[in-house]
Amino acid sequence: MILEAKGLRKLYGEFCALDGVSLGIDAGEFVSIVGPNGAGKSTLINILTGVVRPSAGTVRFKDREIGGAGPARLARLGMARSFQLVHVFPDLTVLETLQAAVVARLGRAARLFRSLARDREVQAGALEVAELFGLADKRHVPARQLPQGDKKLLDVASAFALKPVIILLDEPTSGVSTADKTAIMDTLVTASKRIGLRAIVQVEHDMDIVFAYSDRIIALHQGKVLADAAPGTILADQRVMDTVIGRKAASPRALSC
Amino acid sequence: MKGGLAVALGAGAIAAAPLVASTYHVLLMLPFMAYAVVLLGLNLLFGYAGLVSFGHALFIGLGAYTGAFLTTHAKIRSLEVILLAAAALGALVAVPVAALCVRYVKIYFGMLTLAFGMVFYTFVLKFYRLTGGDEGLPFLRPSLLGQSLDAMPKTDYLVGPYYYYSLAVLGLAALGMWRIVHSPFGLCLKTIRDNPAKAETLGIGVTRHRFYAFVISAVYAAVGGALLGPPTGNVDPTLAYWTHSGNIVFMTLLGGFTSFFGPVVGAFVFIYLQNWVMSVVPYWRLIFGAMLAVIVILAPDGLMGFVTRRRPALAGRT
Amino acid sequence: MAAGLQVVFGVQKIFNLACGSFYALGAYVGVSAVGWYVGAGGPPALFIVPLALAGLAVGAVGIVVERGLLRFVYDRDETFQLLMTFAIVLMMEDAIRLTWGTAPRSTAGLYLAYGQVQLLGATAPVYNLIVIAASLAIALAIGWLLARTAFGRIIRATADNREMAEALGVDMRRVYAEVFTLGTALGTLGGALVIPTTAAMSEMGIELIVEAFAVVVIGGLGSMRGAFGGALVVGVLRAIAISVYPELEMLLIYLIVIAVLAARPRGLFGGAAA
Repeated sequence: MILEAKGLRKLYGEFCALDGVSLGIDAGEFVSIVGPNGAGKSTLINILTGVVRPSAGTVRFKDREIGGAGPARLARLGMARSFQLVHVFPDLTVLETLQAAVVARLGRAARLFRSLARDREVQAGALEVAELFGLADKRHVPARQLPQGDKKLLDVASAFALKPVIILLDEPTSGVSTADKTAIMDTLVTASKRIGLRAIVQVEHDMDIVFAYSDRIIALHQGKVLADAAPGTILADQRVMDTVIGRKAASPRALSC
Repeated sequence: MKGGLAVALGAGAIAAAPLVASTYHVLLMLPFMAYAVVLLGLNLLFGYAGLVSFGHALFIGLGAYTGAFLTTHAKIRSLEVILLAAAALGALVAVPVAALCVRYVKIYFGMLTLAFGMVFYTFVLKFYRLTGGDEGLPFLRPSLLGQSLDAMPKTDYLVGPYYYYSLAVLGLAALGMWRIVHSPFGLCLKTIRDNPAKAETLGIGVTRHRFYAFVISAVYAAVGGALLGPPTGNVDPTLAYWTHSGNIVFMTLLGGFTSFFGPVVGAFVFIYLQNWVMSVVPYWRLIFGAMLAVIVILAPDGLMGFVTRRRPALAGRT
Repeated sequence: MAAGLQVVFGVQKIFNLACGSFYALGAYVGVSAVGWYVGAGGPPALFIVPLALAGLAVGAVGIVVERGLLRFVYDRDETFQLLMTFAIVLMMEDAIRLTWGTAPRSTAGLYLAYGQVQLLGATAPVYNLIVIAASLAIALAIGWLLARTAFGRIIRATADNREMAEALGVDMRRVYAEVFTLGTALGTLGGALVIPTTAAMSEMGIELIVEAFAVVVIGGLGSMRGAFGGALVVGVLRAIAISVYPELEMLLIYLIVIAVLAARPRGLFGGAAA
């Protein structure tokens, strides 16, 4: 098991965002986390990526306890993530962005007087990822000038450039047109094979994407795991389908744990 | 390669200045070169790391006082030793200051650096025995490369050996900074400036990089500060005053923080313009204040912005 | 005087380096007003009236500065806002020099016009007590303004959420201009009121701004109650420092700021923010 969470609980004052969530991600899996708004998906991914410290419970990554370790350390351990809202470096070009990721992966971020331009490994590594994500033609374009879809792609690509063991994607296709969604997902899956990624975890609202790509689906509802099963099983479970994709919105709740 | 040509021309012009220009103008080049060193460092923080310090006068003052103290109290006259001591002391003081300041950004960073700067200023003012209080300390003529040049008339010394010495220091400083900003470290700094949260997820230590950038900029400021001493032969507490910090930020903005040589150009224009305005009316602050306001409103990329035409990162963000 | 800074920062999220300059301006205008008043034969006992009026009136500079300069930088990075106020500092410094010269000015003599009283075994000039009472009154008035009036509600709404307030039909331009002018007037009034106890110097603004910054930082940015607590802490510590080791008075303030920022970034009285 690459990533394992046990009994995760997160309280924000009286509000209970996560109420005893346990899950495990195995090598080779593509897992989607779904659930209505307010189900605790964002909190869960923030805890798994070490940004938020859980009120109770443990997260183990590569057999190491990582609760609240901080994103920079996790990145160095081999866990990458992308954000729901696009995060790019507005003034850096595509290539520079990817170079930064490669520099960080190789542990060369503190090299003061070495020439970046002459670091072949960094240059080649960045270019390779750019090509993988179809951004090679735009490698000298500053991120701010990219269309929205490419920004999203660059965000994900820079996470891939870390050559992580596992990657957690927070709505990788949000804010992108339906036509581009499949393209992004296909690129992502191809790229993950090429760089030897061991597992992908995504939070996603688009059920077509979820069912088309996932090996396993974890459905969250009111801070608890409602279901954790293969797509086929989920599809057959009317109760889960109603809660997760049902027309009725999630009822407001202020349960105390 | 146009940029390289411009730099070569600029360096050539500076090198040739003592041969063609009047002594008056050549003497003005000395503070320019000293400030250029300071600003190269300051811009690592401002332009590349996105942090604006309002307290770098601390390090200028520290460098200048190091030189004055060594030449008057310790009888050490070698400029090489002085510059090294200034750099070392700058780094030493910068470590605790930076450790605290880089935990903050934007306005908090600015005000905290200002507070540190004023602590040093008050220290200089109050510890009369060590620093000479508000009268300052004499900065005796340093020897260059082991050559004592005390016999030379002052002007000859300044426009001759000292001028080229300053130029050499500036050249080395620029070369060093050029390598830093084009290194993996420099790239990581830029990612932090643009989006610290994203940089963090790439495994880049945000605080650590800011810390290093701060210390490097402090070392540059201290070295530049030490170079400011010999032309006037005296250092006084106004060097460490907070408006001095403001002025060097002004110079950076004037030249343009988005380009490598922008701050150097800014220092040059600032010094000559200030000198010229002061020769006409004594109220240079009034005019410079208005100028700064205009730059902030209309041309946040400064003078180099007209050359490079690149929208700055800071100006567009809220 | 930190009140002015606090109001402006809280609402507009602009940290005003120039508030010290406004303070100095108020002081100079106050000196001139009192000089003119005495010259015109007014009874010395009432000198505080022209002083306060002059202080308030010159607060109108705030409108000019806000409309003429600051409104251009509201959407910019804070750094540029800071630099803009630095530009104002530079201009004001020379404007003051141009008008009043470089020599310190004072309202010599009038300071003790109200006599002295014995208080807790120490002698205190009555004027100091008047100023303290006046500051308290001003602070209370502002507290009332913010808490009870419609204008106060608008200001607080703007401070909380600018977009929301704008969507509700609040004229942002007017609020900003009014708030900034209010902040400026508080600064100039403060400068005018304090002047009989000291002398107007062009540098006086700087000490103030750091002191006000200290007050605000210690109290927590954007909180009125915090400004009060902060002012108290700074005042008491300064008094102690002056009696123990006067050399270190200002130094102590800077050190407090640094200590507070290091330990409690949101200020001693700041609540838990997101």
